[in-house]
Amino acid sequence: MNSHPVIKTTLSERCIDVFLIVLSIGMVLPLIMLVANAFKTPEEILIWPPTLFPNDPILSNFEKVLSKTPLLIWIWNSICFAVLSTLSIVMTSAVAGYVLAKFKFFGFDFLFAIILATAIIPFEVYMIPLYFQAKSLGILNSLWGLLLGYLVMSFGIFLIRQNVIQSIPDEFLEAARIDGAGEFWVFFHIVIPLLRGPLAALAVLAFFQAWTAFAWPMVVNTSKDAYTIEVGLALFQTGFTVDLGLLSAASALVLIPSVTLFVFLRRNFVQGIASTGLKE
Amino acid sequence: MKISSIGRRQFASFALSSPLHKLLAAAGLTLLAGVAPAQAQKISIWSGYPEMAPFYQRVADQLKAKNPSLQFSIEAIPLREHEKRVALALSSGSAGALVIEMAPPTANRYLSNNLLVKAPGNVAGFVTDTKNYAPFFIQGASSGGGVFGVPLFRGQGALFYNTDMFKAAGLSKPPATMEEFSTYAEKLTKRDASGKPTVSGWSMRLSGGGQGIAEKFWINMFQYSGNLLTQGADGKWRVTVANEAGRKTLKQYLVNVHKLKVVTPEMPADADAFERGQTAMFIRESWVIGDIAQKAPKLNYATAPLPRGTIGLPTNLYVSAKGAEADASWTFAMAANEPDNLIWLLKNVGWLPNRQNVDYSPVIKSNPGFSGFVNYPKDHAFFSLPSIDPIEEILTRVASKLTAAFPKAGLADDDKAIAALLVEIENEGNAILNREGLLGK
Amino acid sequence: MQRKKLIFAILALLPAMGIYFWVRLIPIGETLRLSLHQWNILSKNKPFVGLDNFRELFGDPLFLESLFNTTIIAFGVLLITIPSSLFIAYLVFQRTRSRFAGFYETTLFLPHVVSLVPAAMAWKWIFDARLGPLNAALGWFGIEPKAWLFDPVLSIFCIIFLCSWQMLGYAVLIYIIGFKNLPLSLLEAASLDGASKRQAFWYVSIPLLKPITLYVSVVTLVAGFNVYAQAFILASDSQGAPGRQVRTLVLDMLENSFRNYRVGYAASEAVVLMVIVLVLTLIQFRMLREKGKSL
Repeated sequence: MNSHPVIKTTLSERCIDVFLIVLSIGMVLPLIMLVANAFKTPEEILIWPPTLFPNDPILSNFEKVLSKTPLLIWIWNSICFAVLSTLSIVMTSAVAGYVLAKFKFFGFDFLFAIILATAIIPFEVYMIPLYFQAKSLGILNSLWGLLLGYLVMSFGIFLIRQNVIQSIPDEFLEAARIDGAGEFWVFFHIVIPLLRGPLAALAVLAFFQAWTAFAWPMVVNTSKDAYTIEVGLALFQTGFTVDLGLLSAASALVLIPSVTLFVFLRRNFVQGIASTGLKE
Repeated sequence: MKISSIGRRQFASFALSSPLHKLLAAAGLTLLAGVAPAQAQKISIWSGYPEMAPFYQRVADQLKAKNPSLQFSIEAIPLREHEKRVALALSSGSAGALVIEMAPPTANRYLSNNLLVKAPGNVAGFVTDTKNYAPFFIQGASSGGGVFGVPLFRGQGALFYNTDMFKAAGLSKPPATMEEFSTYAEKLTKRDASGKPTVSGWSMRLSGGGQGIAEKFWINMFQYSGNLLTQGADGKWRVTVANEAGRKTLKQYLVNVHKLKVVTPEMPADADAFERGQTAMFIRESWVIGDIAQKAPKLNYATAPLPRGTIGLPTNLYVSAKGAEADASWTFAMAANEPDNLIWLLKNVGWLPNRQNVDYSPVIKSNPGFSGFVNYPKDHAFFSLPSIDPIEEILTRVASKLTAAFPKAGLADDDKAIAALLVEIENEGNAILNREGLLGK
Repeated sequence: MQRKKLIFAILALLPAMGIYFWVRLIPIGETLRLSLHQWNILSKNKPFVGLDNFRELFGDPLFLESLFNTTIIAFGVLLITIPSSLFIAYLVFQRTRSRFAGFYETTLFLPHVVSLVPAAMAWKWIFDARLGPLNAALGWFGIEPKAWLFDPVLSIFCIIFLCSWQMLGYAVLIYIIGFKNLPLSLLEAASLDGASKRQAFWYVSIPLLKPITLYVSVVTLVAGFNVYAQAFILASDSQGAPGRQVRTLVLDMLENSFRNYRVGYAASEAVVLMVIVLVLTLIQFRMLREKGKSL
């Protein structure tokens, strides 16, 4: 029957592999070094030239970090924030993207144009008035304050709209309507399932956007318990100066969820982006 | 809204209007009386110096042992972020009960906008008692005739020097004049084969953002009898660097970096460098003593007062709270000034407590590092940062111009350019003062 | 039918658009409005000052320095990211069927998704003049240790490098997808016409990838102009960083707003940032847009 053809790697392909492997290792080397530093004793961190791997690995940095700082609370804050932001963004983008794509009513195009225009405007530009908005609502130092800036994503609406235009033919929807389906039914039972891929990609995008947000959480949260990971680490200081070992241990601990999440979600991300209009 | 913050007097006067109301009032008051004390009071202590956290925790633990319904949350973050969070919290009024550690210049704008609470009688009496604090500190804690803060500690500059290195260079005492600083620095610098300094003779503050550079420049200028900002008879201010003192100071920086080559911007600097033996001497505040004890306990060093005088930057505890929580907050501020606690502060953290009728001698005896900070001549002069709104902005801009100037080798010989730069700095600062209506004649 | 559709459309759109108005459009409008006023956060009055803030802004050396630094950083990142990601994506694409493909994609993309701050801390240590491995590694080649984060020029380079490192994986990923979606027919036609692999790459593939290049370019440039976290960690005046301060636009803006208590002034800076980003994006669209294609 059919046998697997033996794939021989040519010389040029091997060269490419060597180059890429070196490059890949180089890309993650800083992170590896960070984790290695977390295991070093305070003296070893200060020696010159620095060692790549600790000579006498210790765990006390981790112990100190976990007991002295609210690191786990920060991680929890970041997770809650990211999850809720993702949900909000996915829902609003799905709905707005669908309606703006398929419903030709007066003013909808204009609305979309505004969304597109404001998509480019960086968050930092309107961060300050938004801060005062949060203050007047009394939601500073809370999850809601964090969310205020991350409830919608212009790019998300754009993405879904593109997808709806390209992959959901009008005939599908009309057929369902003729059969007597209500609009909500059409949305939930036809549109959403068809948008699974792009929604998953958007979810991953939104999640990492909230996970790595820096300026906004920095401004909104002033209480140690309300920090997200990024802010907590940036302001990490427990003595006169910054203890490198503790900081590395905290950073290493924080990298764990990042890396794990990514390793699991990579496929979704790639597939999602592939299914967007970028292929055009 | 917490029950405890409803004024009981208000409730009572309302209750006097009718018999039914009286009954309700009686019931209500009993309810209040029963509920309020049992409710936990949560007070946050905000500090801009993470090393102070253990001290505040100690005070909090003492108070909690006496009154378990009190809950204190100590939040000490780096100074810049602390200042920002205070600005955001006080302007929104939504941060709950706070004890805020601040220097008077920072507190000034909040005071002028009535965002901080006036101290109650007993606290005010304690602060204004000259047995407890020198007039300088009482002034710093007061505003418009009332007391708003409780003094706690101060940042004061003195010289730290490595006694081993001094001995090796044949120097038996610390430099007594600014000119001696330069000659000493040259003798103390260790160089490699190509002449580049490997151990700086004098670690001058050449880089690092913010206003620190301006502050250190001012300290040096003060030794030449100059001041970065001067207050006129009309109570208003001017930037005053374009003069003999300013020129001498700037020139000294430039000469040390480019001519004598005792220090460069890239060399390790500050407390870290001193602790690792990478510099022979530097000027800093007393917290370094605690740092050295922790990180380089075997270092042989001593401290000495500066030639003419130094900066004294007091830090006070202010309160933003209402009702019973305000009381608890002031109790905290007072407790922090208990003699035992202040002695603990000096010994374990290193910042200098402001209260004077406390016997610090055991600490000073056991750690001679403090001598440069407490054993100064009677005519030692002090200056502080003006308590005006734009002070940080002005200092930041001065720092920015200085940072740009320090690496310029050509500037060291160019007296005209130095003078011109100082005039530029003056103009920039005075423009800001003018903008705020604070520019004097 | 139409009516039912209209009702649904409005009901569905209202919450989403309502939120959008509230957290996007209104704050943007407020920024524009504040830029024409003066406000110090604490007082109740906000006097109207017209264009005074803008006039002061353009004479302000700290703002100009921030603008300069930020522009250099943004374009630096752009110039590094686009060519290198294109090249690397091409290489990875050649090896998509090998067993290393997953490994490449994961490791290349990892810097983009890990938390910003730990990654920046890692690089801060690497660049550290006294403790960092970079200077140690340079020592093997006989190069003197440099004060990476202290030197005015090198510190900017460090920030550019950090941002590029973070951006690279994302750009590579998108380019890989672009390569995968290149119509084979066109490439075959080119080779039939006698084009070499290199010529096909330059004259067929790259032009076809224009939309992707446009997207990556816009995203990278906008992110570059917003640089804050990286500058904050590597080169700011926070306690743990006694190095040089590299002023960026966002940093200057936040300092003016929350440290100097000049919200109106900061808002005018925000407006300038917004205008720059919009103008640059428009320019890029013009330059790279293919005729007749909508994005």
